[in-house]
Amino acid sequence: MSLRVLNPNAEVLNKSAALHMNINAAKGLQDVLKTNLGPKGTIKMLVGGAGDIKLTKDGNTLLKEMQIQSPTAIMIARTAVAQDDISGDGTTSTVLFIGELMKQSERYIDEGMHPRVLVDGFEIAKRATLQFLEKFKNSVVMGDEPDKEILKMVARTTLRTKLYEALADQLTDIVVNAVLCIRKPEEAIDLFMVEIMHMRHKFDVDTRLVEGLVLDHGSRHPDMKRRAENCYILTSNVSLEYDKSEINAGFFYSNAEQREAMVAAERRQVDERVQKIIDLKNKVCAGNDYNFVVINQKGIDPPSLDLLARAGIIALRRAKRRNMERLVLACGGEAVNSVDDLTPDCLGWAGLVYEHILGEEKYTFVENVKNPLSCTILIKGPNDHTIAQIKDAVRDGLRAVKNTIEDEAVVLGAGAFEVAASQYLVNKIKKTVQGRAQLGVQAFADALLVVPKTLAENSGLDTQDVIIALTGEHEHGNIVGLNQHTGEPIDPKMEGIFDNYSVKRQIINSGPVIASQLLLVDEVIRAGRNMRKPN
Amino acid sequence: MKEIVTIQVGGFANFIGSHFWNFQDELLGLAADPCGDPVFKNHSLNMDVLYRSGETQQGTLTYSPRLVSVDFQGSLGSMSSRGSFYNEATSAPPDVVTWTGNVSTHVAEPQRRNLFLQRLNEEEQENLTPVNSISGGSNDPQREIHDEDIVDFLDNGVKYWTDFSKVHYHPQSFYELGGLWMDSQQFDSYGVGRDAFSWDLRGEEISERLRFFVEECDHIQGFQFIVDDSGGFSSVAADFLENIADEYRNTPLLLYAVRDPGSYAIHKSQKQAISKNLHDAISFSRLSSLCKLIVPVGLPSLSRSKASAFLCIEDQKPYHCSAVYAAALHSISLPFRMEALGPSADSHNVSGAFDVNSVVQMLSGQGRKNMVAIMDVAMPAPFMTGRQAEKSLLGNLQPLTPEIAEDVEDLQAVESMTIHGALGTGGHQAPISEVKDMVHAAYENAITRPKFCNLSVALCPLPIPLPFPKIFRSVVGQHGELLGTPVNGSPLRGSLDVHSIPMAGRLRSSSAVLPFLENRLGNLRKFGTQQGAAGAELVRRWGFGKDELEDMGETLSTVVRELDPRSQASSDSD
Ligand SMILES: Nc1ncnc2c1ncn2[C@@H]1O[C@H](COP(=O)(O)OP(=O)(O)O)[C@@H](O)[C@H]1O
Ligand SMILES: [Mg+2]
Repeated sequence: MSLRVLNPNAEVLNKSAALHMNINAAKGLQDVLKTNLGPKGTIKMLVGGAGDIKLTKDGNTLLKEMQIQSPTAIMIARTAVAQDDISGDGTTSTVLFIGELMKQSERYIDEGMHPRVLVDGFEIAKRATLQFLEKFKNSVVMGDEPDKEILKMVARTTLRTKLYEALADQLTDIVVNAVLCIRKPEEAIDLFMVEIMHMRHKFDVDTRLVEGLVLDHGSRHPDMKRRAENCYILTSNVSLEYDKSEINAGFFYSNAEQREAMVAAERRQVDERVQKIIDLKNKVCAGNDYNFVVINQKGIDPPSLDLLARAGIIALRRAKRRNMERLVLACGGEAVNSVDDLTPDCLGWAGLVYEHILGEEKYTFVENVKNPLSCTILIKGPNDHTIAQIKDAVRDGLRAVKNTIEDEAVVLGAGAFEVAASQYLVNKIKKTVQGRAQLGVQAFADALLVVPKTLAENSGLDTQDVIIALTGEHEHGNIVGLNQHTGEPIDPKMEGIFDNYSVKRQIINSGPVIASQLLLVDEVIRAGRNMRKPN
Repeated sequence: MKEIVTIQVGGFANFIGSHFWNFQDELLGLAADPCGDPVFKNHSLNMDVLYRSGETQQGTLTYSPRLVSVDFQGSLGSMSSRGSFYNEATSAPPDVVTWTGNVSTHVAEPQRRNLFLQRLNEEEQENLTPVNSISGGSNDPQREIHDEDIVDFLDNGVKYWTDFSKVHYHPQSFYELGGLWMDSQQFDSYGVGRDAFSWDLRGEEISERLRFFVEECDHIQGFQFIVDDSGGFSSVAADFLENIADEYRNTPLLLYAVRDPGSYAIHKSQKQAISKNLHDAISFSRLSSLCKLIVPVGLPSLSRSKASAFLCIEDQKPYHCSAVYAAALHSISLPFRMEALGPSADSHNVSGAFDVNSVVQMLSGQGRKNMVAIMDVAMPAPFMTGRQAEKSLLGNLQPLTPEIAEDVEDLQAVESMTIHGALGTGGHQAPISEVKDMVHAAYENAITRPKFCNLSVALCPLPIPLPFPKIFRSVVGQHGELLGTPVNGSPLRGSLDVHSIPMAGRLRSSSAVLPFLENRLGNLRKFGTQQGAAGAELVRRWGFGKDELEDMGETLSTVVRELDPRSQASSDSD
């Protein structure tokens, strides 16, 4: 969109020029992203050529909006975006870390050192840091009842880097409750079972958790109820429309009568399918005042809608594929693919189903369900870019909670880990290394400090003072992080500042890999895209 | 009424789409014009087939194309990705309500509205009070000068397809691919586009856009899918098509694979040439396997083709070429929205209505199985009177599909033709029955005849909107009539001189397409699957296994065998 980083560089002149080009590209990207980092970072508003607005506080979204042309920068950006795909967080830190590794290396290379030696040092330092992380992390036990307080602290830490405190805190409860809602014992958490829905509302910024489901469409018949209590829910994937494709094969050769007859036959089949649904409704709703709602993934045409409406049934068509799964998890019952399998056991239940209309946009709320295993986070915002930014934050928050449950561990934040790991490398590892690879370890240790330094810088603090203060405490065995307001050391544990273990691990893992590739320029930069699907 | 949802994927597809929707918008404007030509007022074409009615949150009623368009981020020029209807007027950047810390604002250089868009905007403001259409030639002398400037400006100044669009689009219509970190030159092969659809939440978001439009349809008759398959958008489209086939299994789809002449550029290196050939083969194989009927559209040089007998095209201008292809698409799409459905119920204004499914079934499934059709056009269509006319109609219909054989005698051929706005004796509108008779006579007297030809006729010609390139030669009159003597003055005529034209468009399933298929099959084998093929490593990097390629080859050769008269003969004998 509006940010540009460096120009595509023409033919590579020689190795040294190429190396410096790489270093500069990495530094360039670091410069663009560094103001983003942490709860005192800067939010960026990008206004496009046609006036479209994007709002972002996170590295991931920012990178995707940028027109990056330098192959080096693209490689770093891909790593960072992959970081987000894999672990859901830490994009900014990744870019900063890679940039800093390159910057630190530059010093040594300018003094005549061969990049290979540095890379060897990186490898040693990386392994040592990962081992250190294992010791440093705080284990949390996630039994049947996860420790909600710790989940909240992790979620809050993340959310406060994206939204102002009050809003972040409101969302903290929502994302924690959402994940706990969909969690099934002994199964991986599928965050897709949390639907994220939004509404544009001029003067309102509000987000709430709906235990149940919100669909972005309504019934398509004027006589169907807009609000109903005590509802049986039929989740189906059955065509309830006249489907012509097969019979038309012989269309051009058959006469009009034959054709009419075939059309009528096909219509009858559709009507019969509808009738089976109506029969079930009549069966389960006989003698009570319960309601019946059909939510269908396939189409429902007007004649079918008429029949259903006359039978007092509310019907929605073309539901999202994923909502089939969500509905069943939220309301119970099962999704049916054929009306031949219909039994009362297929039906789910919701205490309340109602429609909400905003202009041409319709929403259907399926609420008051029993024991839901799927839920909806409903975001209201005055415009698209605000909604999009909140959505990004919600996704981050959900990932943070999921990671914590699955990692069964957290890591002290506010720079505490980076300072501790850096000192560990310098004090314990460096001296065990033979020869000049030591300098690679040193460069790595210095590069880790980019996180606390940048946090300090973004808080308007003096980075030197902060680093001296923090390392001083660590020398005395006190694990501290940075108080963003005062610059004083604080105990992140007391403040509840926790980061995800898997995020940190991923940063430590991928940063040096890319930096090494960029330093060893003669090893070809592969052009193939390295993209992963979200999991 | 049965709805169509249109999908446009990739640069040139959106150029064609832009003209296509301009034609529709022009029809809407002319129908609403109180002093307009009656032929446009009662055209018996149901625009609801292509358009949806809606309402903004402020309660304003809207009418906009049922369209999902996918393109690069930044390809919308000065148009907002939310379209123009539903925009809250925001002049100053709004407050950030989610963050109390620092805000930095990065403003890209504003895309200036060009002369045409400025004028459109002005007229819009004026029209807010009196009821008037955007189109409709005004006689204001001051305006006339202005129009001239606009036409000239557009002829040379179009960069984005939005530069010449006069249509109001729905906010759900535009999906921009961000985070590709590539420009169109780099996004040039099936391989580079491979993950672009599925990556992140893109595929899901695009599918959601489509679902929005489909959910509204009471009875969708089909999808009209236009893809620029010259580069990475081919695989974006393939993934999208796969998704559609999954979700809307019984909904027919008519696929146009379009190419801009620029995509046929001579390749500098052999490596590039191999990549291009493989791309073409794979793109066609993949796309055709995901639909029942595919129509390849786009000549290497439209300007020098027979289809441009009355046109003067500059091949390097997508604004020019896309206008011709869009006109043909428009003609082909008319039967889908003719008011009276069914062969017996013809009206005075239209005849031969049928739906997307019928045309797909007819061309792909009658007699032999062939999923690829050729598109022909006569732009403008010749007079429909006299002996001479019979010959000239069939002679003027010229292919827009590349790499096909000429003068092929194919007794199995199946055709579907639409003629609209035809002119008869004395340059007057030819009645529908006359046109039908003429076409029948033309086929009776032709040397080769198809096995079957379906004919649709409408009175309503193609209206030429103001934003249309100056591509008519001076033998084309104001109503598209072909003049005996060229008009004096400027050698090229545009929308100010030519207000409408009669058109004939045709889809045909014919063995004339064999060279197109054989080229792709040959290249697939030569560069992809043969022992030691030069492109084997490349296709592997694109993510195709050998088996997969061999399957593609097998599918292609089945179609070739089906169409090849020689193999036909051999199978007859045993
Ligand atoms: N209250 C806080 N005080 C100091 N540092 C914090 C605080 N909350 C989060 N951080 C730190 O901010 C960093 C994360 O910032 P963020 O903007 O989310 O970037 P990233 O994209 O790398 O996750 C982590 O290093 C984290 O420890
Ligand atoms: Mg973060």
